[in-house]
Amino acid sequence: MFCCGTRGNLVRFVVWAILAAFPLGLLHAQAGAAPKGVVNLSGQAVDPFHQTSGKVIVLVFVRTDCPISNRYAPTIQEISGKYKDRAEFYLIYPVKSETTEQIKQHLKEYAYSLTALRDPDYALVKRAQTLVTPEAAVFSADGKLLYHGRINDWYAEFGKARRAPTTRELADAVAAAVAAKPVTTPSEPAVGCFLPDKP
Amino acid sequence: MKGKYAAIATLAASSLVMACVSSQGQTSSLKTSTGITGGEVTFNRDIAPVVFKYCSPCHRPGEAAPFPLLNYEDTAKFARQIAYMAEKRIMPPWLPVPGELKLQGEMRLTDAQIALFKRWAETGAPRGNPADLPPAPVFVQGWQLGKPDLVLRARKPYLLAPTGSDNYWNFIFPTQLAGTHWVKAVEIRPGEKRVVHHANVLVDRMHSSRHQEKHPGDGFAGMELRIESETFDPDSHLFFWKPGSIPHEEPPGMALRLDPGDDFVLNTHLQPSGKSEEIEPSIGLYFTKQPATKFPMLLELQNDKALDIPPGASDFVVTDEFTLTTDVDLLAIYPHAHYLGKELRATATKPDGTMLTLILIPRWDLNWQAVFYYQQPVPLPKGTVVVMRYVYDNSEANIANPFHPPQRVLGGNKTTDEMAHLWLQVLPRGTEEEHEMARRSLQEAVARHDIARDPGDFAQQYNLGAILQASGNAVEALEHYRAAVRLRPQDPVANNALGGALLALGDANAALGPLRIAVKSQPDYFPAHYNLGNALASLGQFHEAAEEFQKAVRLRPDDSMAQANLGGALAESGDLLAAQRHLEMAVQLDPKNNVAQENLAEVKRLRANGRNP
Repeated sequence: MFCCGTRGNLVRFVVWAILAAFPLGLLHAQAGAAPKGVVNLSGQAVDPFHQTSGKVIVLVFVRTDCPISNRYAPTIQEISGKYKDRAEFYLIYPVKSETTEQIKQHLKEYAYSLTALRDPDYALVKRAQTLVTPEAAVFSADGKLLYHGRINDWYAEFGKARRAPTTRELADAVAAAVAAKPVTTPSEPAVGCFLPDKP
Repeated sequence: MKGKYAAIATLAASSLVMACVSSQGQTSSLKTSTGITGGEVTFNRDIAPVVFKYCSPCHRPGEAAPFPLLNYEDTAKFARQIAYMAEKRIMPPWLPVPGELKLQGEMRLTDAQIALFKRWAETGAPRGNPADLPPAPVFVQGWQLGKPDLVLRARKPYLLAPTGSDNYWNFIFPTQLAGTHWVKAVEIRPGEKRVVHHANVLVDRMHSSRHQEKHPGDGFAGMELRIESETFDPDSHLFFWKPGSIPHEEPPGMALRLDPGDDFVLNTHLQPSGKSEEIEPSIGLYFTKQPATKFPMLLELQNDKALDIPPGASDFVVTDEFTLTTDVDLLAIYPHAHYLGKELRATATKPDGTMLTLILIPRWDLNWQAVFYYQQPVPLPKGTVVVMRYVYDNSEANIANPFHPPQRVLGGNKTTDEMAHLWLQVLPRGTEEEHEMARRSLQEAVARHDIARDPGDFAQQYNLGAILQASGNAVEALEHYRAAVRLRPQDPVANNALGGALLALGDANAALGPLRIAVKSQPDYFPAHYNLGNALASLGQFHEAAEEFQKAVRLRPDDSMAQANLGGALAESGDLLAAQRHLEMAVQLDPKNNVAQENLAEVKRLRANGRNP
């Protein structure tokens, strides 16, 4: 009936169009400044890009109530475990209404051992161009966005999961980045729970 | 990287402009169809009634959905996503397209309702006038049908691993009731609802599932549950749970008979959630005093043998058809395929040539399979041809394809096999007596239909044997029991049936062989020990007979006939004291057991006459 939605491509266009609604300038303007509102679970401001280790930075966006991002928990944990010596992994909770207590409980339930950060003002969301959870972004040590999008192709649509994924975008991108090779992994949109329109 | 996205964004913008032109064309008709005159779509007036009816039943605490949708704040937070899900008809989950037959509990949004969600999301999800807001939905907490008469709990929870693909687990619930009960409804509480996709309950009168458990109470894996029973007694009730479903209550006179010792077996489809989950289901039983007077039956169309789907085939068609041998009312329908199913259709062509679509599922999704009840029984006269037509997609494009790259897939019970099944719950028309005949004729027709296509169909060879035996046609019954035993030479149930039939025909000698195989294959199979005892007793081998009856009694100490026959065999062996003890037990268990009464009197008389200490 309506235009967009029956054909897969158009849906993707809509998604990118929403992206464009964010002020594009932010993508650059924030490179030097600490991301606004980003805190750890003790409430202290944290800038994941301000680091001296020279490691690759990986942000994985999740929420406590999203079944798709929850099903990914073991995968996220596995990839971060494999590269933890050469990349800094952060679990980012961008949904403002989720409490610190809920997040702590969530980390425990899903056996996460990653550093969790809250991003209630979408500073990291904008910088990583994130639209849904789960979605990942890989940055060079100097903060350049190398990859963002799905972790792999396990889900093709809501409720449509493959028996096992056939791609591994996040692992490929991290592997290239830590080896200081060019990241050529094409950014594929992630399937997951839409972030609330406004933080 | 960035440059690429900028280009896409521009392209998207132009697409959207075009999109708006076409959607505006629709907007005017939308106004007339929904009665919106003010233009603005608000939560309170337009969205809340739809959300409360279609979303809230599952989207509330304790239910299957991941987050609540109970008020403006809940809903506005997901406005864009809801519009997307509604437009793609992913939510609410409802597979059949509307047809001439109306289904109970239809969860399908109209095009106009979908348009409302879209406009609401696009215009920033306004709340609207508080006076427009309908009352919040009120839900029954806990058991949906009220306090059950009996609650059965899983004896051991199943621990679902955090990762992996779909998982199927079966739980056995033994019942310990005194006397026969009539069950009008079964409410399934599947445990952690967020990981259970659906669940079915079957009755197992012969404990045929128990030997699949490693230890009693463990449960067992398996996607397809098949209960085999040694008597022809199909339980044609569909007890089913899916997220949001209200338990089905059988109409008066259609209760399920539950005998002492019967087991319920719950088959669950689970999906790992990312963390370990303990699945601890329970089932609530609701009894009625009114015994069953109407006996529905399940007609099963299937053609698994035709399922040999080459890799890459995207439109592989499998059909089956069945001609009704009697007038029936169709009450419910349950189409079933696995992960390659694409389009599932069932039709009925009446003798006058009119055709009805019984169900059409254009985009099959195993995750949302269900039993569908018709709002009104659908009368189908004798001679109606029911046709099942399923299309399968074994290409890479089918996301649910269990194989990557696609492989040849055959029919079978495993999750990676495929299935083509259609169950129809029908109630034969006519008087109670005609009813019984009609049931047999239908079941016989189904069995003959399946055997004609596949003489290697063990279950139907066995079933046809049982039907023929029940109709008094023992000689033809033997032929089909023999066929079943040829197909599964060690099967305890088929061997026991063959032995039992031979025994009934007076050929105890011939009965010994199959009965001995049955007890050897399944040493805890009560009927085989009982029948073997009878065969031995009728050959005058009372010591051996007593041994078999002993085993039978150990398996079921409360079976009056087994106690009576043990008493009889012991008496014939000369042990009158022990015989009296078991005969007294038999009478105590069932005072109406005449054989036991008579034998007890005889044993007492013999003992009084001093024939035995």
